[in-house]
Amino acid sequence: MSPGEAAVGFLVAIIAATACRAGELTVSVIDPSGHGVTDVVVVVAPAESAAPRATPTSPVAIMDQRDRAFSPRVLVVRVGTSVEFPNNDTVSHQVYSFSQAKKFQLPLYKGKSHPPVTFDRAGLVVLGCNIHDQMVGYIYVTDAPFFGKTDPAGTLRVPGLSAGEYRISVWSPFIADQASSLTRTVRVDAQAAASRVQLVDALRARPEPRPQRADWEY
Amino acid sequence: MSGRFHACLVAGLCAGAALADDRLTVAGAVDVRWVHSTSGLSFLDGGLGKLRFDQDDTGLRLGRAFVASRLRVTDIVTLHAVLDAYGDHDRNPVDLSELWAEVRPYPTSAIRWRVRAGAFHMPISLENRGPGWSDVYSITPSALNTWLGEEFRTIGTEFEARWLGASSGYLGDVSLIAAAYAWNDPAGVLIADRGFALTDRPSTLFGGLGRPPITFYHEIDRKPGFYAGLNWRHHDRLEVRALRYDNRADPRASTVAGGTAWRTRFSSLGARLTPTANWTFIAQYLDGDTIVGPDEADEDQFRMTYHAAFALASLEWARERLTARFDHFGTHQSSGFYYGPPADDSGHAWTAAWTHDFGTQWQLAAEWIRVTSRHPPRAAAGGMPPFVESQTQVAIRYRFSAGL
Repeated sequence: MSPGEAAVGFLVAIIAATACRAGELTVSVIDPSGHGVTDVVVVVAPAESAAPRATPTSPVAIMDQRDRAFSPRVLVVRVGTSVEFPNNDTVSHQVYSFSQAKKFQLPLYKGKSHPPVTFDRAGLVVLGCNIHDQMVGYIYVTDAPFFGKTDPAGTLRVPGLSAGEYRISVWSPFIADQASSLTRTVRVDAQAAASRVQLVDALRARPEPRPQRADWEY
Repeated sequence: MSGRFHACLVAGLCAGAALADDRLTVAGAVDVRWVHSTSGLSFLDGGLGKLRFDQDDTGLRLGRAFVASRLRVTDIVTLHAVLDAYGDHDRNPVDLSELWAEVRPYPTSAIRWRVRAGAFHMPISLENRGPGWSDVYSITPSALNTWLGEEFRTIGTEFEARWLGASSGYLGDVSLIAAAYAWNDPAGVLIADRGFALTDRPSTLFGGLGRPPITFYHEIDRKPGFYAGLNWRHHDRLEVRALRYDNRADPRASTVAGGTAWRTRFSSLGARLTPTANWTFIAQYLDGDTIVGPDEADEDQFRMTYHAAFALASLEWARERLTARFDHFGTHQSSGFYYGPPADDSGHAWTAAWTHDFGTQWQLAAEWIRVTSRHPPRAAAGGMPPFVESQTQVAIRYRFSAGL
């Protein structure tokens, strides 16, 4: 019943194998019980400075608020991306960050719009709401050319890679494993490659959807 | 005095209504209920019954009508007010229950602070988390939280420093709370006179409880009181609250008008666990004492210890909520002869409640309470302990919330 209980040890396994179509890398993140972990940030960058073919950057990303929660909870963007913060909730919010990568304060009152915020430094930006302390969101700002989040099966496919060594990092607020164990180097050659990140520690408990009730704190 | 506060509130509401951008948030409810009670004369009508309604109250009653408003003065300053009506012939038909201003700057580091000043409930109850300090799990709060609503209001300033764990990868936070206040010297008189009770009838700032009405918000000895507490929130699933209260009243002090200072101290500890989105478990405990009368009276100085605890389980699904609660409470008069027979009170209560939401506005709430207690002053007034009282209520509630 107690949340966030520690897990007992499991093995770390990294399997880099060849399969699928040429130039595609498949990254899977697997929890200790063998299930894929969804919503995990995966960033892929060439291990050496060979210029890769970068994926196009979406012009603007969106971090919304609904039901007193950030939506999505985790957003991954390229350095230089502008992020809009519309408020589609029934109540007002005051979004802030005091993370080194980006510090800002954004009063998001209903009926008012704000210009987007540009994230110009790589790093993790932790978002909070000054009115609702339980609201936490994350913007993962990366300078890697390839990135995304795992699907419900815990998998992310990165197509269009030229041959070479790539460095993979995964991150999620719910992964409790040491950060040093969450990076891999994998070789992508003429054929495709797959990388499996097997987590050792149990995932941290995800906050449950909060019951709908009036927005009043006591 | 109360007229002035009402005028201020109305002015504030009007000023807010003229603004935009969700500057003013107003929430409230009207609760009308059918009541059936086997209780002896309720203390609200001058008796020693443990429940809000007694046999004479069976029928249709106003449970509560209230408006809770929050006005955003600036980005970081808000003004809060709660206006209440209970329809039970209190001295003001409509009265303020809370009125406070809060300063909550944006965090610039993992430590966030906030200050609030005015009149407000101290952060102990884990049941009363709705607008206007309303109980969201049942109609009637536990004996413990009933008492806090009856005799206590922080009229002063509270400071909170909260460590925000998210920036360190921890999904939760820890806050330290400290407050200094005045105008709460009579706190303790009701627990000594009556013992614990289970009602959803907190006191208002300018009203009184019982017949003749006891009023609670006076400064008698010109000494401030304090409380200090700790709140811990873990993964949105566990909330723990601990608090030490001491009103530091001088038990010798009294006023010409008959007001008396009661030295009241207690410690409280509570936890609310939400292991899934459907289940909630709450347990709270409170233990303390209250003293009145001159020091030189020695054994004649009245001193009473008290404790109250409850455990609650609540299951919520779709539009339904079911709650079961067990209360235990007791007081013990350890010295003093001011009150005839020892005023020791002991008892327990079972509560079962069901709520059904027809939508966001209409709610049906039903509750059954059974209290078993022993209270010598009540026996002395005629009666045979244990006193077993039960109350059934079926309420229809209209709730509203709007932003301007």
